[in-house]
Amino acid sequence: MVSGCLARIVYSDVKHNFFLHYLLALVILLASPIFFSLSELDSRLAAQPLEAYVPLIGIVLMTPVFLPEQNESIYDVVRSKKISHNIVCFMRLMCSLIMIIVMIGVYVLCMKHCNSQVTLRHFFGSVVSAVALGTVGFAFAGVSGNVIIGYMASVIYYVMNFSLGKKLGDIYLFSMMYNSFDEKKIILLLSAVMMIVVFPLRKLIKER
Amino acid sequence: MLFRKECRKIFHSLTYIIYCIIVFLMLTTQYFSDCAEKVYRPVQGEYDYGETIVEDHDLIMSKAGDALTRDFLANRYVCYPFGFYKAVHLNDKKQARIEKYVCEITGLDREGIEEKKNSTQICNYTDGTHDYSEYEIKDMPVSDTMTYERFTEIMADVDDILGGGSSYAADDLVFNFSRMPMTYEQAVEKYNVMIEDDRISGAYARLFSDYAGFVLAIMPVFVAAALAAADRRHRMSELVYSRKLSSFRMVFTRFAALVTTMFIPVFICMIAAFIQLIALYGTKDMDMSAMFTLPSFWLLPNIMTASAVGMLVTEVFSGGAAILVQFIWWFMGLMTAGAAGLVGKISRFTFICRHNSLDYRDAFLMNWDKFVFNRVFYMAASIAAAVITVLVYELKRGGDFNGIRLFGKDSIFRRKA
Repeated sequence: MVSGCLARIVYSDVKHNFFLHYLLALVILLASPIFFSLSELDSRLAAQPLEAYVPLIGIVLMTPVFLPEQNESIYDVVRSKKISHNIVCFMRLMCSLIMIIVMIGVYVLCMKHCNSQVTLRHFFGSVVSAVALGTVGFAFAGVSGNVIIGYMASVIYYVMNFSLGKKLGDIYLFSMMYNSFDEKKIILLLSAVMMIVVFPLRKLIKER
Repeated sequence: MLFRKECRKIFHSLTYIIYCIIVFLMLTTQYFSDCAEKVYRPVQGEYDYGETIVEDHDLIMSKAGDALTRDFLANRYVCYPFGFYKAVHLNDKKQARIEKYVCEITGLDREGIEEKKNSTQICNYTDGTHDYSEYEIKDMPVSDTMTYERFTEIMADVDDILGGGSSYAADDLVFNFSRMPMTYEQAVEKYNVMIEDDRISGAYARLFSDYAGFVLAIMPVFVAAALAAADRRHRMSELVYSRKLSSFRMVFTRFAALVTTMFIPVFICMIAAFIQLIALYGTKDMDMSAMFTLPSFWLLPNIMTASAVGMLVTEVFSGGAAILVQFIWWFMGLMTAGAAGLVGKISRFTFICRHNSLDYRDAFLMNWDKFVFNRVFYMAASIAAAVITVLVYELKRGGDFNGIRLFGKDSIFRRKA
């Protein structure tokens, strides 16, 4: 009964709110051959598109989790429902994570098919980078109550990886390009913590 | 009065506070740390003074001929079409065209090239984690009948065959293949150009603008989009629409407020950079205005354009769409600027103008006309975008247009025909 209700919510949400984001993420991936070669790449060069470009889908898929209720009229309606708004947002977040994993998985398989030396490590590294960029946007949007600030935060994080480079230390997103993987574990840990903290923090801010 | 109100609104917005932090942070970690030390006059001795670019056609033809033959024999051409590495491997048909060009440049036939290949040793290289081998081709002959004009035609076609972004692009030949080790005299001359021609602050002003322009091509859109979307978000649109105020005054006051407030942190950084220069070099040889005039002319169009795009797209679609449009523009600009080289390559429509060096004054001045056109064009384009925003705003006020919604009840995906 409850699971059926949740499934309906997910279906309705994907159809009315997130379909366009999924489509945009797909367009981003399909446009990648314009900028990068995907075939005959060794393991270090294969990390270029997987770290510097593909993770952008994280911004597109995770930052707008709180977007539909940006309109306060919609939020008033959602608030009046039995199912908590946080549960709906959590489900959106899970859907986005699944989409990131599936899309990057297919992308990596395509690279493999084009004779590039990609491994599970590349897949994992790219997913972590996408989740990190997305989590920054998701967390800032959630805490500030303004999705534009979420986009701003994740774009700033991305820009800083270009301009500050390795000065970012353990949170440097493009580490696989330099044959280093340790950063990914730290980034994943930080992302998980941020993701978990957002919901109670939002509650705390609203209660104030 | 309205202008002050809008400014106050911007000053209190979180997006603006983040914008200021990022501008200060980026310039501190990039420009101020790079320019913390004085550049001294070179000392004579057995030093490496770096390289200089001389436009020597014979040298270009010889070195580019070697490189093309080397790439042809390995069938491995390194390109940077959007600033990122791409190793191109050609099919037989395209390889045959390259072979024809190699023969034409060198004056050798197929057997001659084969002979050269067999007499050359193979060198092993590591590129990333991938090992590859290349023939160590040097001193390939250049055909007596080869003119530089024909050579550049061939190179342009080679670049086309490779899909662009190769080192053989006609515009990049001088930069890639005409480098010579710099002598002491040339190093002194380069130093003198900075001190006498640029009068110190001119060179630093270019570098400052380069670093700041990179950030200012994207950050203003967030502040503009947040401001433009604020009325709708707080359900104040109807209240504002019903005011006596004209749409023109409303939109242009906001636009002016956005540009003014976002220029303030940049101006503060200019003052800080100027003080840093005085501390390093003193005021004796310094151009006292260059650190303010050039960066203002360079950076204001970036702020104006990103703000105008932010306002217009937010009014027509939404804040998210404005960010997406500006991000795509910024990303494409970043990639193409990276591929074109970061020094002196400014075309008429480059949005992110780059000159990441204290040197190469000549290269910058060579494109001065294009640079001026470019900046005036973006100023005019931003004002045109603001005028279109006025029209959209007016339509919305009159109830004739409610924006194109991407989500929700009236979204374009749910509207029935």
